[in-house]
Amino acid sequence: MPSVVSTREAAYRYPQCDYGMAPLSLEIGRGEQWLISGPSGCGKSTLARCLTGLIPHLYHGVLEGEVWLDGLRTTDAPLWQLAERAGLVFQNPAAQMLAHSVEEEIVFGLENLGLPRDTIAQRVEETLAHFGLEAMRGRPPQTLSGGEQQKLALASIIARQPPVLVLDEPLSMLDSTAAAELVDQLAALSGAGRAAVVCEHREEYLHAIPGLRTLRLDGPMPYPAVRPHLWTGHAERNEASRDGATGTFLLEPNPSPLRQAPGGRLEAKGLSVSLGGRPVLRDLSFALEAGQVVAVVGRNGAGKTTLLRALAGLQKHEGSVTCGGARPDFGLVYQNAELQLFNASVREEILFRVPEPDMERYTWLLAALGLARYEQTPPLLLSEGEKKRVALATVLMRRPRHGVLLDEPSLGQDAAHKAMLVRLARELAGAGQIVILTTHDLTLAAQADRLLLLASDGFVAEGVPAQVLHDGAAWARLGLLVPEWVLAPHPAAFSNCPQAGAEARP
Amino acid sequence: MIRLGTAGRARGLVLVERSPLRRADPRTKLALSLCASLAVMLPLEKLAAFLGVYALLLLWARLLPTAARQVWRLKWVLLILFVADWLLVDLDLAVIITLRLILLSGTFALFFATTTPAELRLALEWMRVPHRYAFSVSLAFQSVGLLDDEWRAIREAQHARGAWSQPKGWRELPARVRDLVALSVPAVVLTTKRAWSMTEAAYARGFDSPQRRPYRQLALGRLDWFLLAGTAAVAAILILWR
Repeated sequence: MPSVVSTREAAYRYPQCDYGMAPLSLEIGRGEQWLISGPSGCGKSTLARCLTGLIPHLYHGVLEGEVWLDGLRTTDAPLWQLAERAGLVFQNPAAQMLAHSVEEEIVFGLENLGLPRDTIAQRVEETLAHFGLEAMRGRPPQTLSGGEQQKLALASIIARQPPVLVLDEPLSMLDSTAAAELVDQLAALSGAGRAAVVCEHREEYLHAIPGLRTLRLDGPMPYPAVRPHLWTGHAERNEASRDGATGTFLLEPNPSPLRQAPGGRLEAKGLSVSLGGRPVLRDLSFALEAGQVVAVVGRNGAGKTTLLRALAGLQKHEGSVTCGGARPDFGLVYQNAELQLFNASVREEILFRVPEPDMERYTWLLAALGLARYEQTPPLLLSEGEKKRVALATVLMRRPRHGVLLDEPSLGQDAAHKAMLVRLARELAGAGQIVILTTHDLTLAAQADRLLLLASDGFVAEGVPAQVLHDGAAWARLGLLVPEWVLAPHPAAFSNCPQAGAEARP
Repeated sequence: MIRLGTAGRARGLVLVERSPLRRADPRTKLALSLCASLAVMLPLEKLAAFLGVYALLLLWARLLPTAARQVWRLKWVLLILFVADWLLVDLDLAVIITLRLILLSGTFALFFATTTPAELRLALEWMRVPHRYAFSVSLAFQSVGLLDDEWRAIREAQHARGAWSQPKGWRELPARVRDLVALSVPAVVLTTKRAWSMTEAAYARGFDSPQRRPYRQLALGRLDWFLLAGTAAVAAILILWR
């Protein structure tokens, strides 16, 4: 089978950095489906940009070796010719919407192909029908759910009919149903003779694609090594973490200084929130004991983030929320942690306006969140997953009395770092705090003490994950799929002060 | 309790679909807006009279509430300018400057509340503005509503991590300034990142292709010709009436 994509010892280094993508030789045939996996920072997104020509045309680092795309060398051909041969779907669909309506979003790419008007009209209709977007053709893309936006992003690329499709973490923001639908669409591409290259952490979903080939990247070491004095464990284990597959990133930090007085029981009564006249949360009543990790799962748009904002006192609401009979004091880490960061270094960020900071706690947090080597790095230069961990450290340094609220904490985290978060959540729960996390990642939710399923009309199930995950009726009511691998027997280590490696199960 | 919006909900000028001007060609609306802007040359009494007529046009176009909201957003600017002009010069100047700003604000509302970014782009391209610039302007116009949202989301996110104090009084002014800087850094970063993401997305779909062919075409209808005739008449009156 002739190669449609070929890289020959291709390597890339970003300007003013000494990392990017390690040398890689790869041959991808027409109609082949490839999964590119690997830990955060291994160069998956960089590879996606190299394969589509955005590197070197829009990025001015150092590209070594060669990348060939359907007979064109990416360094020689203009970007618009490369775009005809390879389409790129980005991680965040909302950030790639260029038009004011769904229909115009598809039209944009077709206009650039120079097609006659009637051909454009025909392709628009076919694409809308194929992706089930006809009913929303006039809607602004910003008003669509995350799953719908990702579908539209894919549709606007597929309409151009490129022989190669490259997707950069397309599943990261999708719930399980939307993820499964997207995977179905990708599986159909193979039959149409199109090659697809998918860079993804949530790779379990992609194993449903027949004939999927997998490439695991180790990637270059991007940052200075861990300072050994922060650890009491074995420094050589840190190197083992580099492939992410082992999940053994965590060394053993010093004993936890997180202990504080238990915060008390969280009680919400008749909690209701409306946004723009639309009810988002309706009359929710629940109670959560201190010292547990609680996962909230629901479809995109079900109100999970709004619930966290209400519990944090940031959202106007009806009903009451109390913790131990008092006003709750939770720290909230946002899905987009960038909103919370602004200082010149990780150290300054974590210590910002903390009166008389407990430096033992600070050092422990750096170690427990894998941030020690970035202490002097500007937080906004870190990866998405690392930014989230810095934001969590800033929140924990403030010592919120009742616990922390984490909005999609696993987004952008590889298996090893997810395990790191689980471990920290356990530490907090062990210290008498409540940890509430919202997530689409059912493998993460399965490791909580309690799982709540949130639908648009309220909670449809709650209990220990082992029970709730098997409640087919509740999931059907929610409109979410529970993939088989989530239901597989679970390592006991996580439910009992887990070790990091447990996350890396298939 | 902090009352803030949800990130991602556009708060800019909303398209008024029920306005009859929504059906008009963007070039017509551009001409209408430019003509209305000419009225800023009028002396006070005639400007006040023109504003009355202009309000009737907005009423017909079902845009009066939209224009009023737009003026209300500028209330502090208008108030400060009014007081400053009154104190430093005289009341007549204060009134005329305020009325001119109200007129310009209403003109802005008339165009942008009835025109999509794609229509704006087509109008600019018709005016021989190169595609890449017309596209950039339309994209910027589309993104304006997000800025306010992002500012609120950042403020809320920083409250959530406890980074913001609630200083009161003049002695806390330095802390307030520091807070403003704290807000500005992520705002600048987010805006830059969004612009970069959009640039990547546009180029990944062949934005720089020399073979681009526009799908939509502008065409003047009966309503446009009627409005253009009225606009020409009003422009002539404005020039002669000065």
